[in-house]
Amino acid sequence: MIDLLRLIIDIATIYSIFLILASSMELEYGELGIPNFGKVMFFATGAFTVGALAVRLGVFLANIIWRGEFKTKSIYYSTLVTNYFASHPLQAITVFLVTLILAVLFGAILGVIASYPAIRLREDYLAITLIATGELFRVIGRNYEPLVGGTLGVGIPDILAWLPGRTREISFLLLSTSLAIVIWLILLRLSTSPFGRTLRAIRDNEIAADALGKDIVKIRMKVLAIGSAMAAVAGVIYAYYMGTVHADDFSPLKTFLVVLMVVLGGRGNPYGTLVGVGIYIVLDRVLTLLKHYIYLPFDINYFTTFTFGVILILVLMYRPQGILPEKPLLTVRKTEK
Amino acid sequence: MIDLLLDALVYSNLLVLLSISLTLTILTLKVSNFAHGDLAIVGVYGAYTFMVILGISTYFSIPFAFLFGGLYALATYLLVYGPMRRRGANFVMLMIASMAVDISTRSLLHMYADFMKSQLKVYSRGFIFDDISLDITGFKLQGIIFFSSLSVILLLLFLYILLMKTKFGIAMRAAIENPDLAEILGINVEKVYSFSWFLAGGFAGVAGFFLPFRIPTSPDLGFIILLSIFAASILGGVNSLAGAVVGGYIVGFSEILGTYLLSQPPINLNTAYRPAIPFTLLILTLMLMPKGLASLWSKGE
Repeated sequence: MIDLLRLIIDIATIYSIFLILASSMELEYGELGIPNFGKVMFFATGAFTVGALAVRLGVFLANIIWRGEFKTKSIYYSTLVTNYFASHPLQAITVFLVTLILAVLFGAILGVIASYPAIRLREDYLAITLIATGELFRVIGRNYEPLVGGTLGVGIPDILAWLPGRTREISFLLLSTSLAIVIWLILLRLSTSPFGRTLRAIRDNEIAADALGKDIVKIRMKVLAIGSAMAAVAGVIYAYYMGTVHADDFSPLKTFLVVLMVVLGGRGNPYGTLVGVGIYIVLDRVLTLLKHYIYLPFDINYFTTFTFGVILILVLMYRPQGILPEKPLLTVRKTEK
Repeated sequence: MIDLLLDALVYSNLLVLLSISLTLTILTLKVSNFAHGDLAIVGVYGAYTFMVILGISTYFSIPFAFLFGGLYALATYLLVYGPMRRRGANFVMLMIASMAVDISTRSLLHMYADFMKSQLKVYSRGFIFDDISLDITGFKLQGIIFFSSLSVILLLLFLYILLMKTKFGIAMRAAIENPDLAEILGINVEKVYSFSWFLAGGFAGVAGFFLPFRIPTSPDLGFIILLSIFAASILGGVNSLAGAVVGGYIVGFSEILGTYLLSQPPINLNTAYRPAIPFTLLILTLMLMPKGLASLWSKGE
């Protein structure tokens, strides 16, 4: 019974994190047609913000004096801060909110910066540029130790330490799912609004949209800022959920998985995003469970990623519009005159 | 210092082969193939397997690297990119497909590495090849330097003769230049493209064969070097084979020499920042000179 709860919490939290990432990909790629293959960089922005600041802020608030290097001591101090948070809920919430707001801010700023190449380059060059930038980000994270502890990773205090036992996990679940739902609703709202129609117009025919007076540069900048801020939120949740941040976790494979979910679900349809993420999570869990029942001469995780690659190829070949294809635009019903 | 330059030469030779073959695939399908680095690794695993099974000396397994890289590239073309092209997929879809191919290929290689370890009882991850020492008229030379340079020269010569002097090569160029027109003239575009992909995969496989002499090789290495390959190809101007050669040497030398210089006293940067050099070159080229070096000598478009 307890294990089941644990499983549900795990699945739901991972679902929320990927739903946020997929929503931001859907907004940028599905609606506006910018293949932002540096998605993991914005995800990492959120996680790195938490990694670099949560412990330091906690230590500062708890009036503890930091001795030793950041990379070797962060896990030790994060446990001290967690103990401190156990009796100081207000400070814990402050740390969470400050890191969340800063992450959103950093994400949005990076998104605006990313819009500089996004306006100028053809899609594939843009994808390469963004992947390269994301990798650069990861290389810096791995080697510049004061940021997230280099290869050792960084410890993150438990911001819900003041709640008793199980309620802690359930509260975190509520927190992550409600953030995910809010972000998905923002996507839905944007997608069905005049703004969403503008995005599709730009995606389908940039010149026509330009001729109709839409400021393409500004809109792309806006969308990348919103999308990147969303991804940063996912990073924040991920960091607090895992309780640690490792730079090497943020490899381009994460981006590919998010692209897979969006394409699988159906580009240009926010409901497709819900479905795509769901299918991925279910498949991933089922294949992981199979590990206990069948013997294979290799690690099943590789088989799982292999399956995802093949599924993505098959979807691209036979059903490029995805499971839930984009619907015609919602318009006001014509009334009889 | 000489050692460093020779190191840079070996690495650049490798990048030249890879960027040439990447350019070849980009020329045919206009797809930025994100699975390109993996072809090199498929080649090296193929060669490694036969080296172990047949017990042949290292350099004799180069043809296997060519064959495996080529066949794998051909398979991806026939199974994925070709059908998608005929269904009219645009290049973003092809690019996403190549990412999917990359994911699948790397997981396949990982599975194969596990299998190889359990069946052949050899190191299947992080393995290296032992080099031989050549004695050319009293001048000692590592085999890798000689063989990688020789491979580049021979393969480039082969490509040049093929494209410029043979009927098939002319058909290839025609099919690349304008597939529709070539088809009307009776050129079997499908066949020509398939051959181009086989050739590109073969080149990549040979390049991959030289990897384990310098870098411990694992299934993920292909993706790690991918961005250096793209940097070389894009610096050279993407659509230019000559540019790919120049780009390969520039990126290769600046990666090795740059890492060395930056790790020296005034800056003392950790050598782990090495990937930053090709990434920066790549981003700068795209931002400042999107047509690459080829725009310096060709006045097209």
